[in-house]
Amino acid sequence: MDLKLFLAILAGKSLAFVIRLFSGGATAAPGLIALKIDPDLVRKLNRKIKLGSVIVSGTNGKTTTARLTYDVLSIKYKVIHNRQGSNLLRGIASTLISNSSIFGKLKFDLAIWEVDEATLPESIKNVYPQTIVLLNLFRDQLDRYGEVDSTRTRWQKALKTLPKNTTLILNCDDPGISILEKSFAGKKIFFGVSDNQVKLPAVAIVADVKHCLVCSAGLIFTAQLSAHLGHYRCSKCNFKRPTPDISATNLMFKPDFSTSISLSSSGLTSTVNYSLPGLYNVYNVLAATAVSSRYNIDFLKVKNKIGEFSAAFGRFQKTKIKSRKLVTFLIKNPAGANEVIRTISKLSKINLLVILNDKIPDGRDVSWVWDTDWEILKDKVDNVFISGIRRFDMALRLKYAGFKLSKNNIYKEVNYSIVNTLQKLSTKDTLIVLPTYTALLDVQKTLNRAGEKVSKWQKQ
Amino acid sequence: MAKTMTLNICHLYPDLMDTYGDKGNIAAIQKRCRWRGIDVNVTNITVGQLLSAFDFDLYFFGGGQDKTQTIVGRDLLKKEQILKKAIDNRAVLLSICGGYQLLQKYFKTKTGEIIKGIGLFDAYTVGSDDRMIQNLLIEINSELEQDIKDNYPTTDDRLPTTDLIGFENHSGKTYLGKNLKPLGKVIKGSGNNGEDKTEGAVYKNAFGCYLHGSLLPKNPHFADYLITKALERRYGKVKLIPLNDEIEWLAHKQATQRTRSTS
Repeated sequence: MDLKLFLAILAGKSLAFVIRLFSGGATAAPGLIALKIDPDLVRKLNRKIKLGSVIVSGTNGKTTTARLTYDVLSIKYKVIHNRQGSNLLRGIASTLISNSSIFGKLKFDLAIWEVDEATLPESIKNVYPQTIVLLNLFRDQLDRYGEVDSTRTRWQKALKTLPKNTTLILNCDDPGISILEKSFAGKKIFFGVSDNQVKLPAVAIVADVKHCLVCSAGLIFTAQLSAHLGHYRCSKCNFKRPTPDISATNLMFKPDFSTSISLSSSGLTSTVNYSLPGLYNVYNVLAATAVSSRYNIDFLKVKNKIGEFSAAFGRFQKTKIKSRKLVTFLIKNPAGANEVIRTISKLSKINLLVILNDKIPDGRDVSWVWDTDWEILKDKVDNVFISGIRRFDMALRLKYAGFKLSKNNIYKEVNYSIVNTLQKLSTKDTLIVLPTYTALLDVQKTLNRAGEKVSKWQKQ
Repeated sequence: MAKTMTLNICHLYPDLMDTYGDKGNIAAIQKRCRWRGIDVNVTNITVGQLLSAFDFDLYFFGGGQDKTQTIVGRDLLKKEQILKKAIDNRAVLLSICGGYQLLQKYFKTKTGEIIKGIGLFDAYTVGSDDRMIQNLLIEINSELEQDIKDNYPTTDDRLPTTDLIGFENHSGKTYLGKNLKPLGKVIKGSGNNGEDKTEGAVYKNAFGCYLHGSLLPKNPHFADYLITKALERRYGKVKLIPLNDEIEWLAHKQATQRTRSTS
């Protein structure tokens, strides 16, 4: 018996028990203490997983993709997932501890690890992934991650160390992701959107990849779907978008924020309707489908599972307070926020509440709001409300985008901003709430405080 | 009534050097001019395009990723003479982070490689392992201070502050030559190098700094100062119409408080 591992699990489990007693969050704490006792815990337990693990990483869509993947893999296997969004190594350790016996016997056959883009190389060393899903790379919290190019370079180094029997699942529409196939000799599965255009308003494009990552010549985009995602080829060398194995066509975005796509996988094509908005979620659906094909899960069952899916709390959420509808979308970086803006700009007479915080999980640097195309919402918004720690930076951004602002609509306190804003609206109105990460937690508190008055709108 | 004034802006390499919300700086100048009835033309000039020394009143040069900075650096050498001539002819230039670095004599990377700059600023930058990433608050250099005060139009003659607030994100350490004036003195943050308390550089009407944020929207006094200087070149002494900058100053104040309260 491995005494060190035993003690580490024991300590982790005990701490988790205590935390549960006091109903606190702190999901990473048991993992943290266990790793102090046995730094090899994650490695030791991962090596025992019958079917190995799947890593999901990328700037945008990790959580939703990991959750979708969990759902589709659960059709056939007993799966675990570091669901609480604590995606550093300690979060993985916490999840492993709570899903193993005190003697390190595992209660599952497959693990999905949602991994922060900065910690991907470290995670690869620790979890022996059988499959790695890489979604996209956008500028995001440059204060934390540094620039996109350096993240990619670190990934390339890490991918080179992978054993050949690993499967790499790559977004072929992101040239900064598809280039990674060159760093790995084993099996690759590509997913992408095959439509040449999307039926969403255009946004000012913030592209982080404009040049060929092989020869530095300019890239030619025959279709630019979102930021630097699209159909591209190099103007000089033979670098081009790989043909997707898993693809979506006929994208239809509906006013109730549900979506319909034709999904193709391994020669089968089927229309899928699901209740997630926007182009960004199409990529998440494609990524999960690609994983399901890797694990030979029946396509029809996958399709049904996707249809039943609802997003991680708050990332996209429809609720009702005092018979007023509230739709929340998490915003955290220009690429993601631009896609949210495109998605909601299909509406008119919008009531908008934007909440901008600058704590560490939000990114301390708020300059990204200037890279986000608020201008396209200007004529669609009837009333705009603002809150958060950096509310005046947000107000200033919207002022320069041409919004009409009233100082009375700028609130210091998030809870108050929601309650008060709703009071100003009629029961027919919908309030669109766009919080950054830590602001979302405040929004959730308000929704919880509203208690039973909050009902799931989508289930009615 | 004098005839309508026009401000001609050149945005240098907007497709390659646009990493940290630098668009906000152009937006601030554009809007603040248009709100006053001043026409604005923005011309984007990128790699391979020609530049003429007399076409523009104001140049803007933002930050980029290391790889694109190399591409831009090579092209900038071809624009060196024209750009220097423009600055000699009192054109205004604002450069931030990567743009600021490329206008210096050279950038020495951590591995010892030298990337040549055009030397508009008598300064150089050395790559380091220190990440200078935080809010940055500076006191403007005393020579500029009075000029900024004199040129910022307010209705009640009160300018809240001449400090500049922004966000820095760089690992290169910049050292100024003996005769080059810094833009200001660091109150909170690292500035040029985290050692000598200087931030940025001023040469004639060319300014370099590490202040993102975007810089100009929430530093309206500095935005108006640049506009005034840029217009003066062709229109002589200009007195701008005051604007309602309440939200601008609230954003300035909030960011400043946030900066002072965090370690």
